[in-house]
Amino acid sequence: MENKQSSSPASFVDSTVVPGDVVLDLSSMTSQTIKLGGGLRQDCDAISAMKAGTLRFSKPNKYWIESSQKRYVPCVEDTILGIVVDSKADNFLIDIKGPAMGFLPVLAFEGGTRRNIPKFEILVESSHNSILFSMRLIGLYQLEVGTLLYLRVVKANFGMNPELSCTDASGKAAEFGPLKDGYMFETSTGLSRKLLSSPTCPVLEALGKKLSFEIAVGLNGRVWVNAASPDTIVVVANAIMNSESLSGAQQIIMVDHLLKNIQ
Amino acid sequence: MDARLANTWRLTLNEKNFIKTALLSEIRIDGRKPFEFRNISINFGREDGSAEVQLGQTRVMGIVTAKFVQPYRDRPNEGTLAIYPEFSPMADPSFEAGRSGESAVELGRIIDRGLRESRAVDTESLCIVAGKLVWAIRIDILILDNGGNLVDAANIAALAALMTFRRPECSLGGEDGLEVIIHPPEMRDPLPLIVHHLPIAITFGFFIDENVVVIDPILNEEAVMAGRMIATVNANGDICAIQKAGEGVSQRVIMQCLQLAITKAADITKQIKAAVEAYNSERALQKIKRETTCVGNNVKGDQNQTLDNKGISELVGKYMERLKLISVESYASQNISAEETKSLRRGTDSNCIKFNSTPLSWDPYSKCVDLEFLKASVALQGLSTASEEKEATGKEKGSEAESAGPYEDVNSKWSAVDASTTEMHVIGPKTLKDAVKPKNKGKKKASSVI
Repeated sequence: MENKQSSSPASFVDSTVVPGDVVLDLSSMTSQTIKLGGGLRQDCDAISAMKAGTLRFSKPNKYWIESSQKRYVPCVEDTILGIVVDSKADNFLIDIKGPAMGFLPVLAFEGGTRRNIPKFEILVESSHNSILFSMRLIGLYQLEVGTLLYLRVVKANFGMNPELSCTDASGKAAEFGPLKDGYMFETSTGLSRKLLSSPTCPVLEALGKKLSFEIAVGLNGRVWVNAASPDTIVVVANAIMNSESLSGAQQIIMVDHLLKNIQ
Repeated sequence: MDARLANTWRLTLNEKNFIKTALLSEIRIDGRKPFEFRNISINFGREDGSAEVQLGQTRVMGIVTAKFVQPYRDRPNEGTLAIYPEFSPMADPSFEAGRSGESAVELGRIIDRGLRESRAVDTESLCIVAGKLVWAIRIDILILDNGGNLVDAANIAALAALMTFRRPECSLGGEDGLEVIIHPPEMRDPLPLIVHHLPIAITFGFFIDENVVVIDPILNEEAVMAGRMIATVNANGDICAIQKAGEGVSQRVIMQCLQLAITKAADITKQIKAAVEAYNSERALQKIKRETTCVGNNVKGDQNQTLDNKGISELVGKYMERLKLISVESYASQNISAEETKSLRRGTDSNCIKFNSTPLSWDPYSKCVDLEFLKASVALQGLSTASEEKEATGKEKGSEAESAGPYEDVNSKWSAVDASTTEMHVIGPKTLKDAVKPKNKGKKKASSVI
């Protein structure tokens, strides 16, 4: 990320800010349009930070604050991992680790019409005792409460339940939907962003050289791993969980250690 | 309501299946072997009787306090022991503040059974006046973070806290012999509780397949396991209590688990004892340092000076009286007992006497301050400052000889002494070793002595 110096003498880009810091002064850049991302707010001419974190900038005009927490704040177009909790008349209730449950419309699947709605059965062990919502019997998927889904956030407004979808913008499935087998664990939002960054995160690269596995990362702090044997999955999961506070070189060393121990 | 729903921790089907399949190949999701315990770390707080235990991600704190109560009527000469578990909402989203669910009650009951019914804590020694007054020991267990297996961690915390708890010593006195005098910790050392053995709780988790047993389950495993057994055993091989819930398990498996529990309990007992030892020795060291520290805080500076002058004469007066009354030999014993000297020292802040806190080179019978010398120095109102000089020498004679020399210096240095705090160490808590100044100086200072 190039450090484009803003006209203010001390540029906050890529440095840590705390809530209340005025990070941009608009009076000195009148001719530009600036896009503000999460964590920033505008007070007349001053842009101030609302979250604690690092101020990021991407050309040509996007500013946002990046921070790592355990809780997720839903943003549009994020890809996340959700767990089915319940099914209602029009939506399925999905737990996305955010302040409110997400709604997944019954029709938001590829080729989803009223005739073939995914059926969610309630298992005896689950804590919810609601009655099974039965519509059509022909189901595209057999989804149970507790299914892990790879989803996309369509709408995310403050105070409302976010709306999710299992298709991409054009309506195709494109890898969204339920994830089978494997193992899911939770991380902080910062770590999941690191895992998704390009160039590839050092941990994933180091692991990928020796092991073969499949991974799905949700920006809400959930990661799903699948591999042929359970111990591969356990090694990958633990390696990723440990890499949170390590630098790139340290991550590679840690992975080497772990792999040596199992071989 | 929606927020509560959104905050609950949920387990996916993928996780459930994975944990079960991985266990069939003896793999646990955190990389441990089925019969491996997580790392235990025991830390103690500043006060006696508080311990914090970390078992992997699980953190539990145990605090022991005591107070006087009337005993139960059917046990008039035994003290009481009560456990109060508190599941803090910061530990887990499902814990509610105030109202503790049945798992909290179960946890309290298991620990209680392990301690009380196996007679681990000696309650008869807690009796003060039979039928009227006994000590009631209260153990508060606070769950700080739930990472699975709260019972084991809470048990270790309770034991560690019990072993480091000290209750004030009390004796009967008064005119009719029925008054209870509680001695403050400065007067008499508080006493530890008598703990006969350490009952350790070990939790086993059973899964669908009978052969799959894990020890010390973490949060995810606990949500998936079908049956659970908590065996409270001690290092001697005694089984103190067993709690079994969930799916039925064959007798063979139970016996195996009990054998395993005894081995693990031996390890954990060693760990607890080592931690308590370390804490006790540190505590003893601190206590010694405190007592040998010079209370001669006068060094602090000018503020003390005015006080000094007034206090000094007072002090001197008292001192002189005492000196007259006691012989040199008894000085030693006098010094040792702090109580009496305490009264002299309390409240007076001035001592130009500087102490160096050397860890204990205190031999009451060697180099005593020479009585004559002391009188002389006091008379000259140089105040005990002379003691500084004395430090180097351990011999009485030597000190005498010196006294003349340093004496003048002492006087002139008086103000300088106060100002420079270089030699002064610690002053903090005034311990009452002050009174023994003249004597002490010689001993404490001379590290070479003895």
